[in-house]
Amino acid sequence: MSAVETKKELSKEFSGIKYILTSGMRSKLLLAIYDGPKNLDELRNELKKPSATILHGLKELESINLIRKVQKYYELTSNGFLLTTNMVKLIENWYAINKNKLFWNSHDLDGIPDDVLKDIYLLKNAEYVASTTSDLSNAFNTYIKVISKAKKLKIILPIYSENHFKHLIKLLNGKKLKELELVVSEEILNSIEENELLKKELINSKKVKIKCIERKLKFFLTYSEEFMSLTLFFKDGHYDDSQLLIAKDKNAIKWAKTLEKSI
Amino acid sequence: MNITDNIDNDIKFLAKSEIRLKILGELDKRPNNVRGIVKKTNIAYSSVSSNIGKLESNNYISKVENKYYINPMTQVYFKTLMDFKNSVELVNNYDAFWNKHNLNQLSITSIKRITDLKNSELIETTPIDIYKTHNTIKNQIMDSKNVKAIFPYLHPEYPKLIEGVLKNNGTVELIVPESIFKELIFRVNDDVRKKAVRHKKLNVYRFKNDLNLYLTICDENMSLGLFKNDGSFDQNRVLVANDTKSHNWAQELFNHVKKQVKS
Repeated sequence: MSAVETKKELSKEFSGIKYILTSGMRSKLLLAIYDGPKNLDELRNELKKPSATILHGLKELESINLIRKVQKYYELTSNGFLLTTNMVKLIENWYAINKNKLFWNSHDLDGIPDDVLKDIYLLKNAEYVASTTSDLSNAFNTYIKVISKAKKLKIILPIYSENHFKHLIKLLNGKKLKELELVVSEEILNSIEENELLKKELINSKKVKIKCIERKLKFFLTYSEEFMSLTLFFKDGHYDDSQLLIAKDKNAIKWAKTLEKSI
Repeated sequence: MNITDNIDNDIKFLAKSEIRLKILGELDKRPNNVRGIVKKTNIAYSSVSSNIGKLESNNYISKVENKYYINPMTQVYFKTLMDFKNSVELVNNYDAFWNKHNLNQLSITSIKRITDLKNSELIETTPIDIYKTHNTIKNQIMDSKNVKAIFPYLHPEYPKLIEGVLKNNGTVELIVPESIFKELIFRVNDDVRKKAVRHKKLNVYRFKNDLNLYLTICDENMSLGLFKNDGSFDQNRVLVANDTKSHNWAQELFNHVKKQVKS
């Protein structure tokens, strides 16, 4: 294939998304109508653009069957609805990543399957907690605080950390925590078994269920009915204890469950 | 729904250039250098090199030693963008299936996951085989041990098909409109039906409102049918798939409709 042909092939391949995404007018019109059918006046007020510009955009969208005009109102066609819903998802996905840019950009995301990454919009209300030079254990302390309120905990634990275990055992001996499910790799389980105290307090505890998996885990996920939290590894393979993502809404917990199911 | 300017700019920057998208696609697979990317993509060296420069200066990729690496955040941007691309393609490829059809009963989640259906096949009737859609589903049900279905209308063959599954010791879970409930159920052989109900192998939910959706989930396949905007069922088209993703997609939709059944 010559370079010219390659270029043609490429523009064909991406023409669909390019048409929608690179025109501010077209995508803004779709989003405005996604909220409900609107007439020209309403669109003009919302988008603050002259009628001619708006009408031109509407014509284009009408010609590719994404919107239609019913009496004086413009509404999405079924194709337009499918497409705009997915565009909203795309924007929410990007918003969710962008909001916690520091968190996502500094870690290795290879352990999170593509299908789960594609639903990252579910984390759009998540908050980023980082340790600072004046408070080195801010992230860890936030984590301990939130898990100590839970009745049921599920933890996908990719590390062997006595500090974490110490706190978990304290919670298990308390009244609040009734159930703890740990998902660990064989390597971690072996280390737990070698430690007499952990063997007694974790493995032999009636409140604890341990699931062992063969694969090496690359994320630290915790969730209950009330919250979810995530910490990750750096690209160089080291665990990062200083940055935590935490959320308390249903969508985020749903995302956590999907991530857990993927292992 | 509003789109913030920085996300808008990010999306535009990447979506605008097919070459940048292609480069990111390569770097998403593995780190590479300019020469390597030229070889893989067949794009001119000068284009690859100038776009690599733009991607690097905008922090989408980084250079370590002599190779370029995609940044973690860009990885997610890229994957979600490709997911959107797939959704556009799915809508366009099955235009006859979606266009002018009623999508009100699809959940927003199922629409956001529409790319899960990307391995599905559109089955359409032909003048020489006008029962192709019905027969396709009929065969799926006959071969299946467990069947879940949303039947918005009664086909005269359904009672016998259900009976067949139950006689085979399988399970059947149905959602049907109130209006066809009796007709459907009482045409299944009395003994077979009562025994199945007793053993919890037959569950039929009555849907109080209009059902505008046709869905079957068999052991190997799922099939989806829609109503046209004029209110009639489109008997000429079903979307059929036999992969896990589609199966899970259908399962989620089934549960979504089931939740609306008031018992």
